[in-house]
Amino acid sequence: MKIDLPEKETVYRQNRHGLEAFHLDLWLILLLLALSALGSVVVYSASGGDTEMLMRHIIRLGIAFGIMVLFAQIPPNQLRIHTPWVFAVVIVMLIAVFLFGDMGKGAQRWLDLGVIRFQPSEIMKVALPLMLAWLFAQNSLPPPAKHLILGLGLIALTAGLIILQPDLGTAILIAASGLFVIFFAGLSWRWIFSTVVIVIGSLPVIWHFYMYDYQKQRVLTFLNPESDPLGSGYHIIQSKIAIGSGGLEGKGFMGSSQAHLDFLPESTTDFIFSVMAEEFGLIGVAVLLTLYLLVIARGLYIAAQAQDNFARLTSASLVMTLFIYVFVNIGMVSGLLPVVGLPLPLMSYGGSSMVTLMVSFGLLMSFHTHKRLLSPNH
Amino acid sequence: MHTPGLYQTDNERKQQRRLFRNRVYVAFSLALLFFILLLVRMTYLQWVNYNQYHSLAEGNRISVEAIPPVRGRIYDRNHILLADNRPVFALKFDKTKIADIQTTLSELGTVLPDLPESRLARFAERYQKASKHRPIFLSYTLSESEASQFAVHNFRFPGISLVSKLQRTYPHGEAAVHALGYVGRINRKELSSVEPSRYAGTDSIGKLGIEKQYESVLHGYPGVQQVETNANGRILRKLETTPPIQGKDIQLTLDIRLQLFIEELLAGQKGSAVVTNPNNGEILAYVSLPGYDPNHFVDGISQSRYRGLLSDLNRPLINRVVNGQYPPGSTVKPFVALGAIEQNIISPTKKIFDPGYMEFKGHRYRDWKREGHGLVDMHDSVVQSCDTYFYELSLDMGIDAIHDQLYPFGFGHKTGIDLPQESIGILPSKAWKQAAKGESWYTGETVIAVIGQGYFLATPIQMAKAISTLANYGEIVQPHLNMAAPNIEKQQIPIQKIDNWDRVMASMRDVLASPRGTAWRYARDIAFPMAGKTGTSQVFSLGKDEEYIEEELSVHLLDHSLFVGFAPVDNPEITVTVVIENAQVKAADVAVKIADYYMTELRDEN
Repeated sequence: MKIDLPEKETVYRQNRHGLEAFHLDLWLILLLLALSALGSVVVYSASGGDTEMLMRHIIRLGIAFGIMVLFAQIPPNQLRIHTPWVFAVVIVMLIAVFLFGDMGKGAQRWLDLGVIRFQPSEIMKVALPLMLAWLFAQNSLPPPAKHLILGLGLIALTAGLIILQPDLGTAILIAASGLFVIFFAGLSWRWIFSTVVIVIGSLPVIWHFYMYDYQKQRVLTFLNPESDPLGSGYHIIQSKIAIGSGGLEGKGFMGSSQAHLDFLPESTTDFIFSVMAEEFGLIGVAVLLTLYLLVIARGLYIAAQAQDNFARLTSASLVMTLFIYVFVNIGMVSGLLPVVGLPLPLMSYGGSSMVTLMVSFGLLMSFHTHKRLLSPNH
Repeated sequence: MHTPGLYQTDNERKQQRRLFRNRVYVAFSLALLFFILLLVRMTYLQWVNYNQYHSLAEGNRISVEAIPPVRGRIYDRNHILLADNRPVFALKFDKTKIADIQTTLSELGTVLPDLPESRLARFAERYQKASKHRPIFLSYTLSESEASQFAVHNFRFPGISLVSKLQRTYPHGEAAVHALGYVGRINRKELSSVEPSRYAGTDSIGKLGIEKQYESVLHGYPGVQQVETNANGRILRKLETTPPIQGKDIQLTLDIRLQLFIEELLAGQKGSAVVTNPNNGEILAYVSLPGYDPNHFVDGISQSRYRGLLSDLNRPLINRVVNGQYPPGSTVKPFVALGAIEQNIISPTKKIFDPGYMEFKGHRYRDWKREGHGLVDMHDSVVQSCDTYFYELSLDMGIDAIHDQLYPFGFGHKTGIDLPQESIGILPSKAWKQAAKGESWYTGETVIAVIGQGYFLATPIQMAKAISTLANYGEIVQPHLNMAAPNIEKQQIPIQKIDNWDRVMASMRDVLASPRGTAWRYARDIAFPMAGKTGTSQVFSLGKDEEYIEEELSVHLLDHSLFVGFAPVDNPEITVTVVIENAQVKAADVAVKIADYYMTELRDEN
């Protein structure tokens, strides 16, 4: 039941005006800029007014936005044709990391190609959703059972390779993004519920056989942070003090005493939300959550407007990955979830994860602005 | 089902879109729900519990302070203190509360005029590199008047507090320093290899010896004190306290009286002496000379003093007992002789004629006695330390048989003593040479190896283990310093004929008891039977790191003198191993005096 799409000669509708001519989406860009601006303000404050650090942060943001614009230019069909190859290459790179990757902070995540050094697991955050969307787009939705099984196998393979590094946080995130593709592909509710039951039932098994001590320690510390007030529990205690003491209106810009007195660890990266909550209070938190929710809403709207299943599944899953990031990070620093070391998208200082995220948005914009001339329905 | 092709009908296209859009609605509702959950959580923290967190963060800050545990003490076998803790006044710096360290330190200099300038300069350097999150101590012990003087001026120094802390002290100074080791300031590398929270509030760690080996036992676990402080870091109220768990004391097998006796006996010499109880492996004395005072290291040793120790030609920092690798010389002869008669390679009563040398492949291997020993059997050869007898024996045995005989006694591998970084020496064999040098073995090298020369190297602790095992009739015990060392499974070297062992014991006894014995003249006055073997090694260096220094040549040219022995001969209670570098006194002389002191002064108590 192969679907024959015209692969080379797709004709796209001409975008007539404004940002669309550059394959960009005005709403998303405005929201992302707002979040980046807020992030820069908090990074500056959390670093204790470090102008150099702020400049580096802004430069990185600029690069990330540039990459987003570049990816927005790729026509969806080109993307779809190359997806299986990209995925295969990233899998090979993950195996290469396992065999001869560089160690960094006790985990083997980096691949050094002489010129650049990068984490293949980062690319996988985009490559896996693309691959699964490609697979399920071969047929009408919902996908046949053999494709579902193949898809689950790919998720397991990818997550497994990343767990080996070992990087549980990223593995969970990537597995979640893959499962979202399956969810959007229309897996029946009966299957979804029974899987949830099985997963919950298998948690004790994972605990016993597949978790390293440091991961177990994180979970235990989460359940009872007071048990290790000098170690990892300290972070959560201090983070909660920072958030709680912000109150309704916050202590104002540069007013985070917890970050400035070094009570808060990683205040510019993983724990940046605590600084922002301390300085801008519950009102600031509400604004931030609203911004994220609007990004998610716009992203899902783009997905719903997409013309084919490949675009639909990819964009919806990437948007939900952003949601997972936000929820896990804020849940972590406020003591709802274990400490899993994920940054807060567009707010946290630095990193390769910002680039990956902007690649996702680039793809979303590409899908939205490359519309085929199909039928009056579109 | 579906037919090939994309969106065959408008109907199906609509159906696909409807299915997907339903999922999108569900996903968005899910996201909304979880965001509301986050908002509820934030409301709980920032609105409902605001007052609680506000007072924690804003008015009075809560801080978690570690209470360092008291380090376990170290005793000798008779409960005499070898390592203690004494309370001292020190200044604790909190990096987060000090704006400019240079002005702070120069002001501090005016309050404490006796504080040396150089210390402050060194401290400033260390301070810059230190982590913000750990207290930094100025390595200067304040006198009581200085302490009260600082207390008066304390208000001028936010971020510096006067604390009373416990500092390691070694009451016997240099005595047994190489066994005890010392504690010193914990460095970055060490900090990364330990659980950081276990070392919160502590700035020292075991660096060498027992202090390092049993670090996890001695250190204990820190307590935690939650205190409320004001913005200047002054403690307003103590909240919760979890007391620290004190480190465990360690009782050593050493007898400090014997230790001090030997160190005095060997004063001015370079070398080592080990006294063990062959029945259980307990080490009664562990002497490596020259030594140094570990107390200098506790609070950070000064550069000049440390450089002095490093450049001292007598190498006081080297732990000779486990790291000094010496050719064991003739001390290996009894072990070789035992192997030869146990394996029926030679009859113990067979006599050979020694003209003072052995001719082999056109090369003359000389005996130490130029005129030769004449007709000798195995017994005579051990008593008189006849080299020629063993030269000829070595040709019959071959290097690998010699290796296999000596290996179980502990040569060529670690003894397993409870000290860090033990050297393994070299027990030569064909396989060893092939691996180490990539060359095949020459028979001439066997001739040299059999008298403990050539490639052969052993540490004093290996010799002590070997003689203990021999005195024990082949029951191997592991030498150890901790009285509470875990029970190690005892192993037995197989005995072919007990007669053979008796013969070797008898010959070693005559080394001291027979007028022809090489150690006879030192043992004439002792009132107990003692057995042993002398050795000499004609090497003037300590190990591979030694440099050839011309000015020192005259002293360095002197032979090393070695002795291994035990007493009393029947039911031995101690073994004595002595190695003296470039000896001006004979090791046998020293060993007999040690045994005599033990037998007459200490025996009844131990």
